[in-house]
Amino acid sequence: MEIIKTQSLIKDYLLGKVRVRALAGIELSIINGEFVAIMGPSGSGKSTLMHIIGCLDSPSEGEYYLDGDLVSKLPKSALAGIRNRKIGFVFQSFNLLPHLNVLKNVELPLMYSGLSARKRKEQASRILDSVGLSDRLKHKPNELSGGQRQRVAIARAIVNNPSILLADEPTGNLDSQAGGDILEIFNDLHKAGNTVIMVTHDRAVAERADRIIEIRDGMIHNGDLAD
Amino acid sequence: MAISLTESVQIGVNDILTRKVRSLITIFGIVLGVMCIMVVLAIINGMNKSTLTWMQERGGTNKVEVQRNWDYDFRQGGYAALTLAEINQIRGELPEALAIGPTIAAWNTTLQYKGFSYTDQVIGVLPDHQQMESWYPEKGRFFNEIDLRENANVIVLGTSVARDLFKNENPLGRSVMLKDQMMTVIGIMKEKVWENPGGGAFGGNALEYMNRQSFVPLSTMMNKIEVGSLIQSIQILAKSPEDALAIQKKLGPVLLRIKNGRPVFRVSSAQETMQQMEQNSKIFSMIFIMIGMISLLVGGIVIMNIMLASIKERTREIGVRLAIGARRTDIFVQFLVQTVLITGLGGVFGIILGYSILDLVSGYLGMPMLAGPQMILVSLLVSVGVGLIFGIAPAVKASNLDPVIALRDE
Repeated sequence: MEIIKTQSLIKDYLLGKVRVRALAGIELSIINGEFVAIMGPSGSGKSTLMHIIGCLDSPSEGEYYLDGDLVSKLPKSALAGIRNRKIGFVFQSFNLLPHLNVLKNVELPLMYSGLSARKRKEQASRILDSVGLSDRLKHKPNELSGGQRQRVAIARAIVNNPSILLADEPTGNLDSQAGGDILEIFNDLHKAGNTVIMVTHDRAVAERADRIIEIRDGMIHNGDLAD
Repeated sequence: MAISLTESVQIGVNDILTRKVRSLITIFGIVLGVMCIMVVLAIINGMNKSTLTWMQERGGTNKVEVQRNWDYDFRQGGYAALTLAEINQIRGELPEALAIGPTIAAWNTTLQYKGFSYTDQVIGVLPDHQQMESWYPEKGRFFNEIDLRENANVIVLGTSVARDLFKNENPLGRSVMLKDQMMTVIGIMKEKVWENPGGGAFGGNALEYMNRQSFVPLSTMMNKIEVGSLIQSIQILAKSPEDALAIQKKLGPVLLRIKNGRPVFRVSSAQETMQQMEQNSKIFSMIFIMIGMISLLVGGIVIMNIMLASIKERTREIGVRLAIGARRTDIFVQFLVQTVLITGLGGVFGIILGYSILDLVSGYLGMPMLAGPQMILVSLLVSVGVGLIFGIAPAVKASNLDPVIALRDE
């Protein structure tokens, strides 16, 4: 079953008075449980595509179905709930909140989904245990190594049991050892049945995925399901 | 489903604790404003209380006084004086009055006993004066109708007069020299004390001037001491403060008629005096409240600015929160609650500081002050209100951030 399906996805930006087309008709299908890498040079539109897939942004034209729901037409207020329940983000620069400890950082999505403090703590601790950080719960992000921080970010992304895990250059700020560990976690999550979508410009990293989708000039150049 | 208010408060408290120094600086203006309001409220409170006790000490709020009108230009003719016949005419016009007390005051009058002398006011009054002022002798007696009829050479002294003239001697039965008359001391008045709770410039016993007065029968005053003198003031006792106001209104035209249309007298009621005092305290309070308001306004603007700057600094955090599922309302409430917490905290500090400086300010200004629990409520409400008003703009700005742009923020 397709977890992500887009039809003629177009995204235009206004740069001053100039209209810039970031996405020029993307037809994308990703099947439930797939591990996909999206590749492309900078300016190719891969970040824009990721933002739309992650429901942080809406397309100018075209349709986007997530988990069977047409989300491209939803108002922005409804997208917050979708992001909370269906999407887990992992960023290149981790984006942990510096003044919150590891446990609190992982609890955040659960807080916004309205879980009680006790259940939040339980669930967040369990997830942190699964990424091997059960001894770092009370640490602040700046007391952790880069690899550990990214593992906290992954824990935060999957704590709400989302439909897709969306990673933007997840190994970009890590040394090869730590990056390898993170990719291993993605692999495990994929094997456990999760859908993982990873944006990267590093071909070695991309090759860990089942399928590589290449984007150039706002269009899918290579790697569509049809190929 | 939005996150709960308790959750927002927890986030807010956490944020404030993370940025302790900034939070403290931020609340400074609010602390000053709330302090100011606390002090004003205490002053108003204290003034109202002391005006009332002052009036009660002065003989209640049922009195009407007729005195020389100092605003009138006496070069235009007329005297601020009444004859006994005119007093009787007034008495006839005011059947509702409980008592009418004409007085003749001799200022700067010297009493002598042995080598000592004492100079102050000697007043000729009727025996009714005691009821009029609710003021009675502590020792001996006041003069009566017989003394009055006989122009008796008797005198009742205020406590300060007795103390200064007689030192440790018992004055009762002794004779003092008043002008060319030997007067027998028959009584000492009860000491009048009204300590202004504020102390300072208005401090000490505000009624001491009454302890410096001496009283002789009105007839003795008119016939032996100030021969040919006329009555310069009258006190009228009414049944109630309302009656007093009614009598005051009625008396003005009566006096004008008696004095051929010349406004040589001024009629005032204790009630009116009290209202005047309250009016004065209101004007004073308004000034202080303005200062407090301006301080709160400045404090509010400072907080708004700092919160706006703080949001700029926390753009990425807001982006992250939005990305993991925070709604705009969640962000809005988070920042509004934080602002309100900061101003509320300022309010609490302001209340504590305000309380602790009350005595100091009270002593310095010479104002009576009285703190009450309702002041805490008002101060707290005001500070929270400032947070709600000035927190809106930053909260709107934070909640309107585009998550994509916010996440890109360095």
